[in-house]
Amino acid sequence: MNEELDSQLSAMFDDELPPAECELLARRLSRDENLKARWGRYAIVGAVIRAERGVRLNAPLAGRVNAVLLAEPALAAHTAPRDLRRPRLHWWQPLAGAAVAAGVATLSIMWLRTQSLNADAPLVARTTPAASMSAVPAAAGPAASYVVPLPKPASVVVPSTELANYVVAHSMFSPPVARRNLLSAFMVSEPAAAGAEEPQSDAKAFAQ
Amino acid sequence: MSADASDLSLVRRVQRGDKGAFDALVLKYQHKLVKLVMRYVRNPAEAEDIAQEAFIKAYRALPQFRGDSAFYTWLYRIAINTAKNAVVSRDRSPVEYDLDRNNNDESYDMQGRMKDSETPEGLVLTDEIRSTVNAAIDALPEDLRTAIVLRELEGLSYEEIAAAMDCPVGTVRSRIFRAREAIDRRLREVFEGGLGRAEELG
Repeated sequence: MNEELDSQLSAMFDDELPPAECELLARRLSRDENLKARWGRYAIVGAVIRAERGVRLNAPLAGRVNAVLLAEPALAAHTAPRDLRRPRLHWWQPLAGAAVAAGVATLSIMWLRTQSLNADAPLVARTTPAASMSAVPAAAGPAASYVVPLPKPASVVVPSTELANYVVAHSMFSPPVARRNLLSAFMVSEPAAAGAEEPQSDAKAFAQ
Repeated sequence: MSADASDLSLVRRVQRGDKGAFDALVLKYQHKLVKLVMRYVRNPAEAEDIAQEAFIKAYRALPQFRGDSAFYTWLYRIAINTAKNAVVSRDRSPVEYDLDRNNNDESYDMQGRMKDSETPEGLVLTDEIRSTVNAAIDALPEDLRTAIVLRELEGLSYEEIAAAMDCPVGTVRSRIFRAREAIDRRLREVFEGGLGRAEELG
């Protein structure tokens, strides 16, 4: 046996070997049974000097542990798939995530629009004829130079009272511009909701 | 010198799938661990079973070991918990064992316990190993004996031993190595020659 190697083994046993040398010797120690046996005897020497008298110095403990571990998969078998899984998923996971997110967002917007239109359906039903009444004479008139534009269907959607109340109650959290727009839209819609008495002004308000 | 570098290099090898490196860790710490567990259970055979369980638990938990503490500290905690659980599950009260007791009392006490569970062959061989090592230590030159005892019994670092013995650290390393080699030569003959060889060698 190489004396320098044994000297290194002794120093490594005492945690007195530089880390770089430890790496190399640990590799050799794990494979060389003679070196490992010597390492085990160093441990026995220490146990005797420390008078560890309750301990069986010839106990086959290491062999028993080794026998149990033989049946177990090496730790790298547990850890390697975990390490490999991440890069394998990287190339498609963001794309799939983005596609799913976009799909969910589109469906949500469409559903919200449908819900809003349905919720305000009676109001729209009252305002639309009024608006169309104002437009019909103009369209029917000869060579009309000015025609009041018909309000777009989307613009006739006015906030419900509950929504307005909600906005007022939570006004501290909504931006002033949005709050003002919502409330003014609601106020303008009140006459129309009450009976569509002033269809022209109503139409003008929405046209603006 | 970074403390625990040798254990850490072995641990890293085990974490990369090298079971042989774990074998080296078991060989290094098996006696310490059995001694530790014997604070909680009565006989050495049971202590060995618990130590074996602790080593296997440690192996399975090694992927989570990051090296924030020393490996032995971590292993020590696993062994203590395993021993406590074993005591609870078997409904036995732990043995009150004073570690500061002097060696003669300890020897008497533990020998008494060993008689309950050990096979005669096991006891004879253990005694043979012990007497061989002690005889080899007694035969060492004074400077080698002092160095190995300061290291193994007092747990001093090479630097501390160098200061105590007023010599360079390299000399300490050499003395401890030569002491171990001298003892190991005797010990190897016991292991390779079997029972009864120690008396011839002594």
